[in-house]
Amino acid sequence: MVLEKTFGSKLFDVLLVVFLGGTALLCVLPLWYTLSVSLSENAAASAGRVGLWPVGFNLSAYQEIMGDSKFFNSFWISIQRVALGASLNFVIILLLGYPLSKNAAVLPFRNVFMWILVFTMLFNGGLIPWYQTIKSLGLINNIWALVLGHSVPVFSVILVINYFRNLPKELEEAALVDGAGPWQMLINIFMPVAVPVLATVTLFSIVYHWNEFFNGLVLMSNADMYPLQTYIQQLVVIIDAQTMTAEQIQKMSELSNQTLNAAKIFIAMMPVLVIYPFLQRFFISGITLGSVKE
Amino acid sequence: MTCNMKTRGYAKHYYLMLLPGFIWLTLFSIVPMFGIVIAFQDFNPGLGMLRSEWIGLENFKYMFTLNDSKSIFFNTIFIAVMKIVANLIVPLVFALLLNELRISVLKRWIQTIVYLPHFLSWVILSGILLDIFSFNGPINAVLSMFGVSPTLFFARADLFPFIIVGSDVWKEFGFNTIIYLAALTGINPSLYEAAAIDGASRLQRLRSITLPGIMTTIILLSVLSLGNVLNAGFEQIFNLYNPLVYSTGDIIDTWVYRTGLLNLQYGLATAMGLLKSVISFVLIAASYFLAAKFANYRIF
Amino acid sequence: MSRIKKRFQLLLATMLVILPACSNSGPSNEPNPATGEVKPSETYTQEDPFGKFQEPVTIRIGKEIDATDKSLPAGDSPENNQYTRHVKEQLNVDTKIVWQAAAGKDFEQKINLSIASNDLPDAMVVKETQFRQMVKSGQLEDLTEAFNKYASPTLKEIIETTKGLAMQSVTVDGKMYALPNVTPEADMVHYMWIRKDWLDKLGLEPPKTIDELEMVATAFVEQDPDGNGKADTVGISGPQLGGNLHADFLNPNNNNFGFDPVFSSFHAYPGFWIKDSEGKTTYGSIQPETKEALSKLRDFYAKGLIDKEMSIRKNAQELVKNGTAGIYFGVWWSGGYGPLADAIKNNPEANWQAYAVPLDSNGEFTPHMGNPSNQYLVVRKGYEHPEAAIKMQNLLYRDESKFDVNVAIGNYPLRLVYAPMDVMDVTYNVMKEILAGTKQPDEVDRPGYNLLKSDAENVKKVKLEPYDNNDIQYWDPDADIGVWKRMYSTLVGIAPLQQPFKRTYSLTYSQTKTMERKWATLDKLEKETFLKIIMGAAPLDSFDQFVIDWKKQGGDEILAEVDELINP
Repeated sequence: MVLEKTFGSKLFDVLLVVFLGGTALLCVLPLWYTLSVSLSENAAASAGRVGLWPVGFNLSAYQEIMGDSKFFNSFWISIQRVALGASLNFVIILLLGYPLSKNAAVLPFRNVFMWILVFTMLFNGGLIPWYQTIKSLGLINNIWALVLGHSVPVFSVILVINYFRNLPKELEEAALVDGAGPWQMLINIFMPVAVPVLATVTLFSIVYHWNEFFNGLVLMSNADMYPLQTYIQQLVVIIDAQTMTAEQIQKMSELSNQTLNAAKIFIAMMPVLVIYPFLQRFFISGITLGSVKE
Repeated sequence: MTCNMKTRGYAKHYYLMLLPGFIWLTLFSIVPMFGIVIAFQDFNPGLGMLRSEWIGLENFKYMFTLNDSKSIFFNTIFIAVMKIVANLIVPLVFALLLNELRISVLKRWIQTIVYLPHFLSWVILSGILLDIFSFNGPINAVLSMFGVSPTLFFARADLFPFIIVGSDVWKEFGFNTIIYLAALTGINPSLYEAAAIDGASRLQRLRSITLPGIMTTIILLSVLSLGNVLNAGFEQIFNLYNPLVYSTGDIIDTWVYRTGLLNLQYGLATAMGLLKSVISFVLIAASYFLAAKFANYRIF
Repeated sequence: MSRIKKRFQLLLATMLVILPACSNSGPSNEPNPATGEVKPSETYTQEDPFGKFQEPVTIRIGKEIDATDKSLPAGDSPENNQYTRHVKEQLNVDTKIVWQAAAGKDFEQKINLSIASNDLPDAMVVKETQFRQMVKSGQLEDLTEAFNKYASPTLKEIIETTKGLAMQSVTVDGKMYALPNVTPEADMVHYMWIRKDWLDKLGLEPPKTIDELEMVATAFVEQDPDGNGKADTVGISGPQLGGNLHADFLNPNNNNFGFDPVFSSFHAYPGFWIKDSEGKTTYGSIQPETKEALSKLRDFYAKGLIDKEMSIRKNAQELVKNGTAGIYFGVWWSGGYGPLADAIKNNPEANWQAYAVPLDSNGEFTPHMGNPSNQYLVVRKGYEHPEAAIKMQNLLYRDESKFDVNVAIGNYPLRLVYAPMDVMDVTYNVMKEILAGTKQPDEVDRPGYNLLKSDAENVKKVKLEPYDNNDIQYWDPDADIGVWKRMYSTLVGIAPLQQPFKRTYSLTYSQTKTMERKWATLDKLEKETFLKIIMGAAPLDSFDQFVIDWKKQGGDEILAEVDELINP
């Protein structure tokens, strides 16, 4: 980077740091609050007395989670789901994105395929037929239902297509001169160059598979197969007392433990927070690779 | 082009590449799509999709015959369009500002932090928002320092849509910044160096290098976000609204939900979904052809 | 952007949200709750309610589970435990769980999906709305014969304690499509809970009338009852965000933190179908009494006697827990099982007591009442052995006391909660006798009242002497917080119901045809108008326009249907 020394530019830098730092602080607040609740006494938390600092500091919520085998079981399911789902998405996105970045002269009916993709992104038949389809494929209560259930991430495919299309033409021509076939071209030339966009869409896949809870609820018939967010969702649902039996209410009253729930939410966020900075490095390495090719 | 000549034989390999994706798409997306027929039925689960009674456009007509359908549609579009615009511009501005930051450690920290709210669900965030905007909450405390008397924000129908849009931007801008940042890394740094040697100011560099470099991304995101003109955000509004703000905050999805509370209106819900899809599709297709015709630019 | 990507998921979520409920009255000719009664026909011969099947019978069920249940011994599961083995041994019935979900919304979603995709287990326990939907879709087996032949006499007796209400709710076209549960009558009655320590401190008596309530609430707001020198106390706590001002005919029970008793003290029954002074069928919300009650609540709110943030506060219990509210309205369990355990942890002197007030102008307590059934055991149409499901209930009720109590009873397959309507009154009176020493725990044994014995054994753990004083200082919650919750709810919460009061029932607790399409609109109109009136965002007279609009936008049509329903 080239440095400038003008006063205006310096002032701008200072303001920038203040503004961006302030915005960042604003975004930490909810997580900080969740952490603060998780470290507080339950009575204080549910009375709304906990603010940005824990009231009656204790670690009992975290101790309890350590002994909760269901939590860790779901954690493990989620990890499997993310690993399978993100890998599968990566392969499919690449395999769809690369050929579709070619024009219709190279790939006849390219536009037909493209419009089918866009169409499926916008239209769906609703929950019931979707569920029936997955059931008839025999995937209910199977981790593959979670991996495959949402179908192709079309939006990510479009991002990748556009990235490939914006690459210089010389890249392909040079490879052709070297006698590379279509598969070598994809794997050896285009994939390495597309690191920034592939890292981005992979992040999206990871985040989707980690955070998605509804499919877990609908497609898994056994609570032992719930991914983590589905497990957590069971804990934070709003209780509608009017339609419950007194006995259910009694059970709920023992269940509602705000500090414990906050601790679980906090822990559940951790993996993505750890992974994100790691993927961020790839965005940066994308620059380096991008400049080498020139 | 010679290039095309050489690669023409590659087509069958390309089709082979497309095959797994399209099999997946067919099984999990195209096959279930036949469920759209429910929108035209008085769906009876006992009879199923094939034997339920066909009622034509009845479900669609019903949506427009309501006394308050005008306000519900208006609220939905008003909130959704504001969200689309804000969620395009704020992340873009933020990404550009972040790009100007020269302390790379700080840059990475901020980038990591701002996307945090994205991971909290509205069930959790709404509780925090209600606290922040409560009568004794921090917003009112700050306002009172400027001599403004405290107000019950969530009882104010006039403010409700703006609180909804503002909080949505706050939750999502960090995450939405990611695509812009990825696009920014694609710009060749040597261009900036050359510009600096030519003595271009920051603003000039922004205008002539940065913006053109990510224009594709901006246009792409704008067009695709047109698909959201009827998505005002059910989960968020459902967790925050109350009867006092029905006049400005009740949207199609919350309305369908309340109707569904009484009896499961599969047909109505599917019809609603279909209407949204059709409108999105028309808008996206139109912008695709307009861009192709007037700017000679293909979006996808 | 990420939003577009999530579009499919969002659409699903939209579908999901309309799923959590469904109901339909169908072609309904249910009898008039006030007079009609569906009597089991006498022509059936009673078979052995506990008869063992010759050949093994398999029943596939959908089951709610408790996510935090740790009571099953190692190796056991919801599908294989002491209860399922008992069922197999006694009845030769194998239970197979085809899907399970956590109690509450998750379980409901599973059921709704199951109904919508017509992918039904042989039997499951559903809610009223789901039951109606399944009847309408023709998905249910007629249980009339199975019930009459196989239900045990005890089961039939408990159902009869509802005086026909339970049977009405499951009978459509003269056929019984589900086995209803029975919940305590106490769940239906809402009354006032108040900080007695504040009353004592300010030298006040518990209020009886609306005017006294106003006076006390004013004192609570103005005279610093918590003694912290700050004007931070709230008179009356109101409903929370998403809560209701009052219960209605669809959800008549357990509306804690609403204003139900205030309305009923004016003989206003908003949300209920009632007879007006001329004996005509009408809707409570459009009656002049409701306007009167709204006017009073509006007045209270304007004077600052009701929580300023009512209906936008995220949790109404907060004010009770943090000791800023002095009054709220709720049912018997709304204290002990509600916020009080946390409230006394935050302030051990918070002495919440319950009173059946406010009274009407004649000095009478006149609450609205609800429906005793809210769980329905249904059997899929075409299942060969509907009697298996009935027999399992018989068996549960006969043998419940023989099981190892350490294993949560919720693990019993297809369990319906049965409590005789008067269970809480009986419990209250037995506890009184135990405490007075006129009865010993080992003398307590009443079939059908299955928690009575353990209650009798436990009550003295948490109740301190003097036994006839229920003030908070004479309790020991720390001895066993679970027992304390139940006993405080019983002794404090049921006491107000030990005097006669005038019950008002809704003419119907289910929907009519027109409601299916028009109720959402009418309901919105009503909620918006009432809340705006109380909170001062609309003039009181907007009530009159509301009545006109309500009638015009389908109300009249629905009224005619309700009238038709009860006077066929």
